Amino acid sequence: MTEAQIIETLLDFIAADGTTDDEFSPLALEIFAYQFENNIPYQRFCRQREKTPRTMQSWRNIPAVPINGYKDLTLSCCDPEAAERIFMTSGTTKNGVRGKCHHPTLSVYDTSMITAFRQRFMQEHTKLRMGILFPTEQTMPNSSLAHYLALALNEFGSDGSRYLFNDDGLDHEQLFAELDRAEQTGKPYALLGASFSFVHVMDKMSHLGKTVSLPEGSRILDTGGFKGQSRELELNEFYDLLEARFGVPRDHCINMYGMTELSTEFYDWGNATCPSVKSGPHWIRSQIVNPLTGEELPKGDKGILVHCDLAHFNCVSSILTEDAGIELDDGFLLLGRAEGAEAKGCSMAVDEFLKAAQG
Amino acid sequence: MALRAGYLPGINANDVEWQTLTYDRDGQAIEVSVPLLSDEQMKGLSGRIKEASRQHLKSMAVSDITATIDATIARLLDRNDTYRQQAEEYLPLITGYDAEMVRLGLTGYLKTFRQSELRRFVAEDFVNPKILDEFQPLPKGGYGRAYGPDLLAHIWAGNVPGLPLWSLISGLLVKAGNIGKVPSTEPLMASWFAHIIAEIDPKLGQCLAVVWWKGGDVDREQALLNQADLVMAYGNNDTLHQIRDRTPITTRCLTYSHKVSFGMVSKAALDTGKAWEVAHQAAYDIVRYDQQGCYSPHLFFVEQGGAVTPQEFAQYIANELDCFEEKFPRRSLTIEEASGVAAWRQSEEMKSFSEENNAVMGDANGAWSVAYSEAEEDLAPSGLNRTAKVISVKQLDDVPARIAPYKAFLQTVGIAAAPEELQRLAGMLGAVGVTRISALEHMTAPEAGWHHDGRFNLLDLVTMTEVERSAETAAEAFSDYVD
Repeated sequence: MTEAQIIETLLDFIAADGTTDDEFSPLALEIFAYQFENNIPYQRFCRQREKTPRTMQSWRNIPAVPINGYKDLTLSCCDPEAAERIFMTSGTTKNGVRGKCHHPTLSVYDTSMITAFRQRFMQEHTKLRMGILFPTEQTMPNSSLAHYLALALNEFGSDGSRYLFNDDGLDHEQLFAELDRAEQTGKPYALLGASFSFVHVMDKMSHLGKTVSLPEGSRILDTGGFKGQSRELELNEFYDLLEARFGVPRDHCINMYGMTELSTEFYDWGNATCPSVKSGPHWIRSQIVNPLTGEELPKGDKGILVHCDLAHFNCVSSILTEDAGIELDDGFLLLGRAEGAEAKGCSMAVDEFLKAAQG
Repeated sequence: MALRAGYLPGINANDVEWQTLTYDRDGQAIEVSVPLLSDEQMKGLSGRIKEASRQHLKSMAVSDITATIDATIARLLDRNDTYRQQAEEYLPLITGYDAEMVRLGLTGYLKTFRQSELRRFVAEDFVNPKILDEFQPLPKGGYGRAYGPDLLAHIWAGNVPGLPLWSLISGLLVKAGNIGKVPSTEPLMASWFAHIIAEIDPKLGQCLAVVWWKGGDVDREQALLNQADLVMAYGNNDTLHQIRDRTPITTRCLTYSHKVSFGMVSKAALDTGKAWEVAHQAAYDIVRYDQQGCYSPHLFFVEQGGAVTPQEFAQYIANELDCFEEKFPRRSLTIEEASGVAAWRQSEEMKSFSEENNAVMGDANGAWSVAYSEAEEDLAPSGLNRTAKVISVKQLDDVPARIAPYKAFLQTVGIAAAPEELQRLAGMLGAVGVTRISALEHMTAPEAGWHHDGRFNLLDLVTMTEVERSAETAAEAFSDYVD
């Protein structure tokens, strides 16, 4: 298939309503064949594992590239120079090298985001007044999250929706004005942003002794964890605090799990209990594997998540994450990053060494 | 069955809050109860240990202390002794290490604490060991005596069986009262050691205690830090930083941080007759305790120009690791550990795409991996748990300059080289911060009396009291026999 055919097929597939393994697998294999042919470093990676499109029976066997691979390799089917947009990883590890994901067009990414966001976040609403606790897309052109949030605001934000972020960071004054306004009007409000931004906001509110009670139907979307940018909170503590500070019940506090190396996001149905069950739309599937052997683990065993995201058609669809999880009937439990453990003795581990060597 | 860790002289077990640690490896679950002392109990315990150390230990001769330690070690070496039997049965279950590896490792390790070795240990640091017993003439004039602290606090870490015995025995040799905090990963060995000491010499048994708290329990840790005269702590830099910050300014704090060790193989060792044996020795150092020790090698710099090439040597190591997996299988890994191994291996694989001659070897289950590189690579840790890297170098003399930036992390270098090379390299390695050089196959078994991280294990623990010449001379004026 050509790139244009892939894009067209994908847009149809996303628009279709739900699919079975029987429908998912053939398209996954076609996209794999396309990537194998056009993405040469990926082809080498697959050949080393003695996997080619000829030997492939199911999406489950497609070789998954470790997400760190993006830092060493340029994984793109299209000419990287011709990409409409490049999203880059945050570059917190590996000597600051940032992995790049090339998107020849954002049409698939955008359709994927909009379709899933409508189902999983908006639900009964078509539009909501929104506040975004994150910089704009113009400020961070290589951030997939900035683009994601811009899409949310442009597609689903009603009049008055805005960024609550300025050059100096969080704009508390405007934020509190928006919250007070929502409280007064009684119309549902949506607050979206990075998890660590919420921690900063709540610390500020705690300092001021401020709480608000957002109207019924309001919701919160947080994503990305704390990443050392704020104090680390236990999930239960975090969602308790959100409920207490904003008056949004925990089951309306939705966590989005996404990454630069994907073009589709996972959501939970609120965080009344943690860890919540995450699931994605019908064009992404996940497996739990043993990271050393790549073998799929039985349902209920703790392992590492592998995602096969058809919408990420230009790079590689199947990636091996560094996130631990457990498969359930209706999705998976996300258990956080399975960081390479420290030695049990007095030997030094890679992460600790990097940290120490960088001073 | 439930085992009990800790050793608390003068405290009734019924008055203590016990917590249960569960170890479940490969379906064989065992439980260990560990004591959690209240602030008051810790204070009382510290006071009693200090008092017993002053009253009893300080008046014992070093030779009597070594005799008691020797008798204790003898029991731990005796396979008919119940403590030894428990160690052989439970340590593999708790740590996950292969049972035979634990058994052999314990024997080899404990042998370094027999009486003759202990005397060597003392003599390493004290030219005249009697200085620990009484005032001795000093070369500069006057007299001096070395005193150990009344209360030495040990904060141990890690699961390498028996490691806490090192500092505990060091403490006893300088007549320190000791309270050691065992890690959850291996709380038993130090506890058993203390119990046997007390069975052999009940009075000496009043001079040490073994406690526990969950790592990161700052309040409990502080309770001990406040009481100690000297602190010895093991762990990663973050942990040590915290402990040092919270140690009172008048209390010395000795820290032992995590280290990186590596091997060097000269072309002189790479002839076709010898190279297999050298690879076997290198693999043994990797396999012992799955690279969890500070002396365990992460990588090997291998010299070009021998009959066996560095790349072939990497294959030899791979082959040996495969054989060892049959004999001493690697312990099963947690998902986090497996992730660390996988991340390292994948990252090496990625490099092999851009560096033509790089390669990664490993078995399908990930039980071991060897990466081979011809690139100008710097020192970096491996993924641990039987992952190692062979770096091909033109000449070994180039290595010291490459590792020099990592001085703070260096410890052991295992060397296979000809005598004159060994001498030359030793000089260069010492200059960039390496503190121990051993043969391959001996990296993980330091000899008795070694200087851990280049420090003086015993000398660092004592303070000297000196009687200066002037005091002696002045005293003469007040004697009965003065003219």
